[in-house]
Amino acid sequence: MWLFSRFIARRLAGERLRSAVTALGVALGVAVVVAIRLANVSSVRGFEQALETMAGATSLEIVGSAEGFDERRLVALTWLGELGRLSPVIEGEAMYAPRGIAGSASEGDDRAAIEGGRRRASAGEMLRVVGIDILRDRPFREYALRSSGREGEGPSAREFLDLLRDPRAIILTAKFAGRHGLSNGGRVDLAIGDRVEVFTVAGLLDDVGPARALDGGIALMDIAAAQVAFGKLGRLDRLDVRLDEPEQVDAAEQLIASRLPEGLTVQRPSRRGRQVEQMLAAFHHNLAALSYIALIVGLFMVYNTVATSVVARRSEIGTLRALGVSRGRVLRLFLGEALVLALPASVVGVLLGRVLAVGAVALTSGTVSTLYVATGSAPPALDWTHWVLGLLVGVPLSLAAAAQPALEASRVSPTAALRGADRLETRFRLRRRFLVAPLALAALGAWLATRPASGNVPIAGYAAAVVFVFAAAFLVPAVLFAMARAGRRALGFRRGSPVPGSPAPAHRFFFVEGWLANASLSGAIPRLSISIAALAVSLAMMAAIAIMIGSFRETVVYWVGQTLTADLFVGPSSRSGGARQATISEEVERTIAAHEAVEVIDRVRQIPVPYGDSQAYLLAGDFTSLVARGQQLFKDPRDGKAAIRATLGEDVVVVSEAFSIRHGRGVGDDISLATPSGRARFRIVAVYFDYSSDRGVIAIDRAVFARHFGEARPTGLNVYLREGADAMAVRRALLDTLGASHRVFIYTNAGLRGEVLRIFDRTFAITYALELIAVVVAILGVAATLLTLILEREHEFAVLRLVGADRRQVRRMVVWEALMMGAVSQSVGLVVGVVLSLVLIYVINVQSFGWTIQFHMPWWFLTQMTLVILTATALAGLYPARLAARRAAPIREE
Amino acid sequence: MTILEVERVEKTYPGGEAPVAAVRGVSLSVAAGELVALMGPSGCGKSTLLHVCGAMDTPTRGRVAIEGRDLSSLDDGALTRVRRERVGFVFQFFNLLPTLTVAENIALPLLLSGGSPGEALERAAALANRVGLGHRQRHYPQQLSGGEMQRTAIARAVVHRPALLIADEPTGNLDSASGARVLDLLRDVHEETGIALLMATHAPDVARIASRVVHMRDGLIERIDAGVAV
Repeated sequence: MWLFSRFIARRLAGERLRSAVTALGVALGVAVVVAIRLANVSSVRGFEQALETMAGATSLEIVGSAEGFDERRLVALTWLGELGRLSPVIEGEAMYAPRGIAGSASEGDDRAAIEGGRRRASAGEMLRVVGIDILRDRPFREYALRSSGREGEGPSAREFLDLLRDPRAIILTAKFAGRHGLSNGGRVDLAIGDRVEVFTVAGLLDDVGPARALDGGIALMDIAAAQVAFGKLGRLDRLDVRLDEPEQVDAAEQLIASRLPEGLTVQRPSRRGRQVEQMLAAFHHNLAALSYIALIVGLFMVYNTVATSVVARRSEIGTLRALGVSRGRVLRLFLGEALVLALPASVVGVLLGRVLAVGAVALTSGTVSTLYVATGSAPPALDWTHWVLGLLVGVPLSLAAAAQPALEASRVSPTAALRGADRLETRFRLRRRFLVAPLALAALGAWLATRPASGNVPIAGYAAAVVFVFAAAFLVPAVLFAMARAGRRALGFRRGSPVPGSPAPAHRFFFVEGWLANASLSGAIPRLSISIAALAVSLAMMAAIAIMIGSFRETVVYWVGQTLTADLFVGPSSRSGGARQATISEEVERTIAAHEAVEVIDRVRQIPVPYGDSQAYLLAGDFTSLVARGQQLFKDPRDGKAAIRATLGEDVVVVSEAFSIRHGRGVGDDISLATPSGRARFRIVAVYFDYSSDRGVIAIDRAVFARHFGEARPTGLNVYLREGADAMAVRRALLDTLGASHRVFIYTNAGLRGEVLRIFDRTFAITYALELIAVVVAILGVAATLLTLILEREHEFAVLRLVGADRRQVRRMVVWEALMMGAVSQSVGLVVGVVLSLVLIYVINVQSFGWTIQFHMPWWFLTQMTLVILTATALAGLYPARLAARRAAPIREE
Repeated sequence: MTILEVERVEKTYPGGEAPVAAVRGVSLSVAAGELVALMGPSGCGKSTLLHVCGAMDTPTRGRVAIEGRDLSSLDDGALTRVRRERVGFVFQFFNLLPTLTVAENIALPLLLSGGSPGEALERAAALANRVGLGHRQRHYPQQLSGGEMQRTAIARAVVHRPALLIADEPTGNLDSASGARVLDLLRDVHEETGIALLMATHAPDVARIASRVVHMRDGLIERIDAGVAV
């Protein structure tokens, strides 16, 4: 310990800035990993917690198809009463819609209604409305009514009944009411589907039981009133069962399953949570994988710090060894250096991760809500698992990163101290092994990229990406060597031989400082390789992601252009807010059909359905219209329309590519769906390209849907106008006619295309944010490397000053070095980025989301990125440059 | 013509307990074409005096002028220009840049002054030939012997045609044969170019090439002998 504090700790303290930059790199890496974990947990946990608190004492639930089940079937379920208590439930979503919010006057308003995970304030807020039979539900869930007047005691059943006798009565949480300035007895406007309904606040719930779920976004209604309000007359969403012997849940589940009539299934309440988890898995895996990039870059910095400290202190290590310090002790000294940096950095990283998580949640919850499920908006508090995660990724990996240089230190021989006077580095020579390793790794990566996914997780794909990253890192020395030589040529120096005639044109731009920078970089290739590799790797990831997203975007633009053919798209406003069951009322449909410019209306109903362990969308549309007007792009068979035409009216479906890949089902295969009258089989006749949801879409003809699931209101209308009609004008006219009593969004074709791309861009905002952090960490790495080199190169600067270099020239030279490091990194990054983007596009994306993406190069973004990186690295060189200029005194030898 | 004038120069370094007076009032002048050797035991102040004379350091008291230009009134930038244009240096440890070839090391002062690489390298090649390293000019310093490195340093020191050449123990790190060759080269270059040469050395036979030998002890000039070369 004594030796450690004198030999390592003192130096770390002496070079505070460099130590701090390294620790910051590790801290940021850990922070990003922790932040993404918190954000991922928050989206699943938000849903699961809501589920748990709302499930209360429910042991099992009986569910029907996606459309619920007929309440008359309860009669056949009376035997369930022998096992415990029963409570039928209706669930629906409503949007709090205070007066003053116009009914979508402009497309911008539609946008405001969709913004963010939580739609608050002027844009309204989603409410999950639970319809219960209060007398039956009391044993299941705990409610604390504020109006009961008896502090700490629940309301009596009688009080509740009184409250709910009025079909317009609704009970809100005190939290929600407080947020929107609502009071007991007041009125509240809720948009359900496309209608605005007025309710009376009949009571406020304190923060107990289900009221805690969804940040208070819960409301209670009487079950009969809820059936009316949500258009579910005569239907139930589920029947909750509270077992008299909850510990016998396994046996009871089996028993119930064996006795339930066709069309009903029994499940644990947590099952819906697992479905959501499954559904989000790919999204989460991708974010988690991305978050580790910043960490890898941070680890490169640890390696760099320890490695340079070993190189710089060779003769001191030799002296220690000569004085009898063992190899093992030297090894421990340098591992200790990594530990001293990593331990506090990891602790800071975890705390910083919690801060970053707020941003990460803000960036992801919108995506999760728009594309998957409505969920909570705040990341969970730190618990011990996050500390364990932070320390587990920060400390052991830092030690692993330091292992190689520490081992090298332990191998320094005692005679190294005697050769201390030798200041000349051995020059780097390009050897075959510098090409063999990256080529071998690249071959391994290519092989891994052809392996299939395990489950829905593209493990081999991720491994391929990692292997390519390492191939790039190993390639850096060779690239540096080649670029240094090319740089020298460009500047008119051919291996030191004079160039006759006029100077090379490049000389005019590079001046002598650029040439010197080039020379000193080529002299420090082994040292620089690590930090350049770190920067190159993070830039490669950034480029890869940009190419992937750019390609994806272009593909979506093409797909949208091809498939969105209707002139107007109509949907209930609450649907875009997350209410996936919200429907279009007959009144709205009639109003639209009555407009003179409207030629045809396609009614579509899209609802989430459980499929396998996950969820998919069931889309009921008019196949006759699809065959006549649709422009869907089919994957298999190419002429999907013919296949559909040939099977019209049969029990067939068309599935999206994502569904087909995710569930391994193709043309000719059967799928089984739960319908109100039991499970039914449908044959897949075509697979089409679709980028609207990675959970997969099962499209079915409306008539076939009605046959199996019964009639139901559409969730959207595709409206075709007569030749020459002005879509914008029709849209305005329709919105005026519908007035404030209906909440619908009407997009024009162009408007919807814009909206699709807006959602697309928001979905990937987090990706760029993560990458940006990795790049910042890598640039810190460049600064740290330059600082280290400058401390070591004082002698070189002194020689330069001696032979006449002024401080400005020294400064410029260091900035040139930084710039060149940036340029080399970016060049390697771009090339490797293209390779990685191919893995992302053709392997990882297909395996995790089931999407075919056309490759497209985002030139403009890559150009911008290159300029930003060059500027940033040059700026990162400014401080080391100033330091070098300040410290560089002409040499003195005594 | 007087190239270097040193008048009552003192140089004191702030020390731990008491300031260390390295040079304690030295006066000396070196004329064009003169080769002056500084001799004396370690710590007598030779190197400090050389640093002050070579515009690498400023005296605590007294006056130093190169070609009549008083160095004490110059700022860092002006001192840099003086070094770059009027002074050449040769040191015991060669001080070559390991990342540059022999020719590039030699050309460096010209390039730092803004010379074109073509011309600078042509002159460097000529000088490399002159010091017997024509075949080595594409090599890097670590591929050279000690004597070759010192010859490279000598070529670099005169590439920009300085008025004054400062050499601090140029043979101190060489075996006797290489040392003798380096001394001969210094003398030849000095004679061919007429550069004033001020050289600190321990080599006893340096007197054979010097016009004057200045003996120092404890920061003062002890005596001045006429050299053989007078």
